[in-house]
Amino acid sequence: MFRHDTPTESAFRTEVRVWLEANLPVSLRGRTTRPPPDELMPWYHALSRKGWIAPHWPKAHGGMGATLNEQIIMTEELARVGAPQLPAQGLNHLGPLLMEFGTDAQKARHLPPIISGSVIWAQGYSEPGAGSDLASLTTSATLEGDHFVVRGHKIWTTWAHHADWMFALVRTDPQAQPRHAGISFLLFDLRSPGVTIRPIKTIAGDDEFAEVFLDDVVVPAENLVGVLNDGWRVANALLTYERLGTSNPQYLLMALERIRTMARASGIIASPAFQDRLAATMINVTALSAVFSHAVDLINNRRNPGPQMSMVKIFATELLQQLNDLLVEAAGGHAPQVQPVATELGEVDVSTPFLQSRRVTIYGGSSEIQRNILARRVLDLPN
Amino acid sequence: MELNLTEEQVLMRDSATRFIEAAGPKVARGFRGSDPGFQPARLREAADLGWLGILVPEAAGGLGLGLTELALMLEQSGRGLVCEPVGFAAIAAFALSAGPKPHPMLESVLMGKALVVPALHESAFGDPLVPNTQAKGQDAAWRLTGAKAFVCADGADGFLVSADASGRTALFHVARDASGVALTATETVDGRRLWTLRLVDTPAEIVPPHPSSRSAVEALHDLALFSLSAELLGVMEKAQEITLDYLRTRKQFGRAIGSFQAIQHQSANIFVRIEATRSLVFQIAVNNDAASLDPAMAIAAKAKASEDAIAVTQNCIQLHGGIGFTDEHDIGLYLKRAMLLSSQFGNATAQRQRYVAIVGLSA
Repeated sequence: MFRHDTPTESAFRTEVRVWLEANLPVSLRGRTTRPPPDELMPWYHALSRKGWIAPHWPKAHGGMGATLNEQIIMTEELARVGAPQLPAQGLNHLGPLLMEFGTDAQKARHLPPIISGSVIWAQGYSEPGAGSDLASLTTSATLEGDHFVVRGHKIWTTWAHHADWMFALVRTDPQAQPRHAGISFLLFDLRSPGVTIRPIKTIAGDDEFAEVFLDDVVVPAENLVGVLNDGWRVANALLTYERLGTSNPQYLLMALERIRTMARASGIIASPAFQDRLAATMINVTALSAVFSHAVDLINNRRNPGPQMSMVKIFATELLQQLNDLLVEAAGGHAPQVQPVATELGEVDVSTPFLQSRRVTIYGGSSEIQRNILARRVLDLPN
Repeated sequence: MELNLTEEQVLMRDSATRFIEAAGPKVARGFRGSDPGFQPARLREAADLGWLGILVPEAAGGLGLGLTELALMLEQSGRGLVCEPVGFAAIAAFALSAGPKPHPMLESVLMGKALVVPALHESAFGDPLVPNTQAKGQDAAWRLTGAKAFVCADGADGFLVSADASGRTALFHVARDASGVALTATETVDGRRLWTLRLVDTPAEIVPPHPSSRSAVEALHDLALFSLSAELLGVMEKAQEITLDYLRTRKQFGRAIGSFQAIQHQSANIFVRIEATRSLVFQIAVNNDAASLDPAMAIAAKAKASEDAIAVTQNCIQLHGGIGFTDEHDIGLYLKRAMLLSSQFGNATAQRQRYVAIVGLSA
C-alpha cells in the first residue's frame, strides 16, 4: 500500500495473478495449517516447473533472479490467492547460505534438488538445553579421518519428519571461548543410520515440529559448510532477510480479512467498542506496511538495517497475535471450536490461527531476545 | 531505521537541526505565561529559511517542496520543543496559495510578518468537517457566526475557519481585528495557550481549494493531522535520546541502570513505537501530495503518533524515576508537549472514530 508498482511490475503482477488463479488447486487455498507432503509437494513441483519456485535466487542457480520488488509482488499475490506455506528451509535458508559459503561441489549437489523439490530440508538449530541461548548447544561432531561422528538431540525442527536432509549447527570445539566460536555448520542425510525422528504435536493440533535424535551419525567431512568452528557466522549472515520474511504485511492483511468476515457474521462489527479495537489494529497494520516498505527501500539501496530488523520482527509478530486475539473476540462463543466456524459469509477458522500464532514470538529468536538485541546493539545500553 | 533521503533533503534537515539549537527546553520554559508564547522574531527567521512556504509553489513565492520536507522540518521542531507555530503557519500558507490567485495575506505570511492559523474544530469529538459555524453571503462578501475551540491563536493575525455555507462546508479567512471577533484563552500544561474563537456576524473571505483537493477544509485538516504527527515523532525521539543518556549514566546497585534487562526491554518498547511511527509518517510523505493527502493515511498517522507519543514520554518519565517527576527536569516537558499535540485536531480515540467511518468498518 506504500509501494506503487512500476508499469513493468504491474504487468508482472497481473501475469502472476492470472497464473496462480488458473493453477493453484482450490483445495489448497486458504489453509490455516500446512498440508501434508502428498498434497503440498505437487504444488511445489508445479511452481518449480513454471520457474517461479525461487524468485530470490539468481538465474545461474535455477532461480528467477527477480528484483526485491518482484519478490514482494510474488509473496503478495501468493498471499492474496491464499496459497499454502511451502517447506522453505531449503529455498530461504540453506540455498542462499550455500551460494555465499558453500563449495562448488556443495552447490552443484544440493541446489538443484531444492529447486526441483526432490529434497526437503530441515533446520537443526535448537536443542532441549539450547533455545534462546543457542550458543550453548551441545550436539557434538567429532572429526575422525574423512568423516564427522555426530551425537546429540535437536528439537523444534520444522517438518523434520517429512524432510530428507538437515542443516545443523554442531559443536566441534567443546573448549572454545566464547562458546559460539566452537560451532560448525553441517549438512546431513536424515536417512543415515543413527537418526531417529519423532514428530511433536503442537497446541494448534498440527505436527509442524519434530525432534531429531542423533546417535553416532556418520557425516562425510565434505558436508561441512564454511570453515571449521565458523558456523555461527554462517548461520547468522542472512538474518536480515529472515526477519524481513516474517514481517510481510500480507499475512496480517489476510488475518484482518478473517476478522472482518467473522465480525460481520457474528454481528459484533456493530459495536463501537469492537470498532475502536479493530481500527487501532488496522492502523497498526498500516504502520507495519510502512515499516516493511521502509526496510525494503533501504535494502534495495544497499543500506542494510542490520540489528534494527529486530524491531520489525517484534512489531510484526506481536501485531499478528493482536489480530488473532481480535479474531477470537469476534467469534464469541464459537471461538473454542476445533472445526472452522460455518457462517453465512463462509467458513472461518478461528482456533487454529489463534493457537498457531503463539509460536511467532518464540521462533527465529524470541521477542525477548530481539529486545536484548535492540537494547545492546541499537540503543547502545551497557551490559 | 534511517531515511532514504536526497542530498537536498539532508541539507534541509541539517538546517532545521541548526535552527533548533537555539530552541530547546530552556527556551520553551521561558515562554511560560508570556504573550505570545513564542518569539515573533524566530518565526521570521523560520520564514527567512523558507519554511513557511515549504509547500507553497515557487511561482507563489514558496519553496515548492513536498510532505517529506515538511515532515523533516516538523520532526526537528518537535525535537527542539519549538514554540513558534511553524507547522500551522506553513500549512495555512499552503491553503492561502491554493486558489486560482494567491490570497492577499500570503505574502506577509511567507515573510513571517503575519501569522494565520487554522481554526476548524468546535468540540473535542465532533466531526471536524461538518461545522456548526454558519456562513452567509456570496462571492467576496461573507459573514460568519459561530465558535471554534482549541485554536492556537497566540500571536495570530488571522484564522482559517471552516463554516457551513448553505449545506456546503467551506474555508474562510477571518482577520483577528475583524468586527465580531472575541477570543478567550485557556492555559495548557505546555505553557502554550489554546483559545476559543467566537464570531458574530464577522466579515470573512472565502479560501478556495487547490484544484486537486476534494475541499479546502479537508485538505487543511488532513495536512494538520500529518504535521502534528511529524512533530509528535520529534518529541518522542528527543525524549528517548535524553532517557537513553540517563540510563547509561545513572548508577544503582553499583551498575548503570541501563544494564538491567527490565530497563532494556522498556527501552526497546519505546524504540519499536518510535520507529513504527517514523516509517508511517515518512512512507505517507513519499506516497502523497500535500493537496491530496489520503484522509485514511492522515488519520492513521495522527492516531498512531498521538498514542505512541503519550506512551513513550510517560515511559521516559518512569525510566528517570523520581527526578523525572520534578518540574526542574526537562523530561516532563516532552510529556506535556505530547499531551498538547496529541489532543490537537483530535486525539487517538477521535481519530479512530473517524477511521471507522472513513474505511467503512462497520459495514
